[in-house]
Amino acid sequence: MSDGRIVVSGLTKQYKNVRAVDDLSFTVEPGRVTGFLGPNGAGKTTTLRMVLNLVTPTAGTATIGGQRYADLPDPLRTVGAILEASAAHKGRTGRNHLRVICAAAGLPDQRADEVLELVGLTPAAKRKFKGFSLGMRQRLGIAAAMLGDPKVLILDEPANGLDPEGIRWMRGFLRNLASEGRTVLVSSHLLSEMELLADDVVIIAAGRLVRQGPVAEVVGSMSTNARVRVRTPQAELLTKELTQAGATVATGTDGALLVTGVEAPAIGAAALRVSAELHELVTERPDLEHVFLELTQGKATIR
Amino acid sequence: MIRLIRSEILKIRTTNTWWIFALASVLTTGLTLAVNCAQAHYYLNEKLNLPSDLPADQAEQARQQFAAQHQVVTQSVNVFTSGQFFGCLFVALLGILLITNEYYHQTATATFLATPHRSRIVTAKLITGIAYAAVFWLLTTVIDLVTGVIFFRVEGFANHLGDWDVSRAVLLNLMAFAIWAVFGVGFGALIRSQIGATITVTVLYVVGMLAAQIVFAVLHQFIKKDWVLTLQVVVPSTASQIMLSPVKLFPQSPPQWVGAIVLIGYGILAGLIGTLILRKRDVS
Ligand SMILES: Nc1ncnc2c1ncn2[C@@H]1O[C@H](COP(=O)(O)OP(=O)(O)OP(=O)(O)O)[C@@H](O)[C@H]1O
Ligand SMILES: [Mg+2]
Repeated sequence: MSDGRIVVSGLTKQYKNVRAVDDLSFTVEPGRVTGFLGPNGAGKTTTLRMVLNLVTPTAGTATIGGQRYADLPDPLRTVGAILEASAAHKGRTGRNHLRVICAAAGLPDQRADEVLELVGLTPAAKRKFKGFSLGMRQRLGIAAAMLGDPKVLILDEPANGLDPEGIRWMRGFLRNLASEGRTVLVSSHLLSEMELLADDVVIIAAGRLVRQGPVAEVVGSMSTNARVRVRTPQAELLTKELTQAGATVATGTDGALLVTGVEAPAIGAAALRVSAELHELVTERPDLEHVFLELTQGKATIR
Repeated sequence: MIRLIRSEILKIRTTNTWWIFALASVLTTGLTLAVNCAQAHYYLNEKLNLPSDLPADQAEQARQQFAAQHQVVTQSVNVFTSGQFFGCLFVALLGILLITNEYYHQTATATFLATPHRSRIVTAKLITGIAYAAVFWLLTTVIDLVTGVIFFRVEGFANHLGDWDVSRAVLLNLMAFAIWAVFGVGFGALIRSQIGATITVTVLYVVGMLAAQIVFAVLHQFIKKDWVLTLQVVVPSTASQIMLSPVKLFPQSPPQWVGAIVLIGYGILAGLIGTLILRKRDVS
């Protein structure tokens, strides 16, 4: 059983004053990119570190392909990880940093050069880590994660410090890994980026699970709140007609009508009936960001 | 395990640390060697001047005491273990760096991800520390041997290298290096802060023996028993000196092997505590 499914069950971490993670359970499927979302201090980093045996849980378990991380015979060949607050010795070159890891994991030295190539760091291979920019450090982290050609990738805010080009590269890179059947679990604050990247999302707040599922489903579950923006010179006329049709109409700050309760085609038909001229007719579906903010509202305080 | 040791050796080799420490030990070895040779020169050429009116039994006692102090063997041990004091300190600091570097440079995450079994990592670090200790010992000992052999030839004394007293001291010196490396690793685990651990160990090492002398002397004022002074051996740096010295370091000092056992005990304790701490501690 080494399909690379991540199963978190009942995971709890109690620090002195905070319950950083509270009875958290979710699964991450192989072949998909799963976004791990939550406000600052929600417990994302703590959860990922518990999955990787870096932090000891107070209760609960986490398995990867059915095994705890500590029980994996060759962890780096199974799981690659990028974490916050992880770096290299400042006086060591990028390539030597990777070679140290290769030596410990029993991987051949040439893997270091291969992954440097993979992340586009070959020109800086012999530069010392203290001379790396933030984006280069992040790329070195990705290189380290890829050393063992792992089936499972766990990334904590990998887009941190990457430029737009870098972010796009990362998106393609992760999508590609997932399409090869690998498991990709990635935490991030960039919700619009996540909407483009993720197949599934796991949303947590204050250490607890808020929602889990495919992105479309999670966003769709809130789409009762979809509304339509309408701009017309005959606002009063149209408002009357729409209200009669059972819609709720509010007026936006810019004078546009914000209509809920009916879909765009019905509004178009109503406008035609009263001969109102339409300048704008846009359905505003809630995106991941709206859903996220709504779901975590009130729970997002830093503890 | 071989993998992990290779990795640990690579970690030291790929930074400036090792040659800075090697240079420092060569320099301090040279310095102490010069001092010890000068001292040996003085002692070996000193003649005993007894007042002629001294009673016969007292004169005999003074002669014996003088002979013990001015034995060529004693001086030989001194010369051939030159650089031990600083060498052990450097090796301990290197041991500290083996652990604290992981936290200071935030590489602990990468290290523990590659090897989730942390006791294996500590074991690899201990072995690596001991290996480096052996290299440093070899370095200082080769310098001591070359200089010492030339020195004794020029002075016209036998160098006593073949004597068990001397070879034993040189070998025990190796053990002292190794144990201080283990100490370093244990201490690094105990005090995770690089600067904190370095300063603590340096201070304990340098002033430990002196402070112990004062404390135990004061204790001796209250408990007027010789064993109180003998107990000084519980201080690691004192135990280290007792272990190496073929003559008594101070009148009440226990035999060499007691110093050795105390030091080994501390080494094992430091290694064990270090392992336990590292296994428990969260990396975040
Ligand atoms: N070592 C620690 N000791 C005490 N409290 C901690 C420790 N690590 C994390 N916490 C607390 O646990 C909570 C969760 O922290 P965590 O870093 O997991 O959040 P996060 O979701 O990664 O946040 P962010 O989005 O800001 O990275 C926070 O309240 C934090 O203060
Ligand atoms: Mg975090």
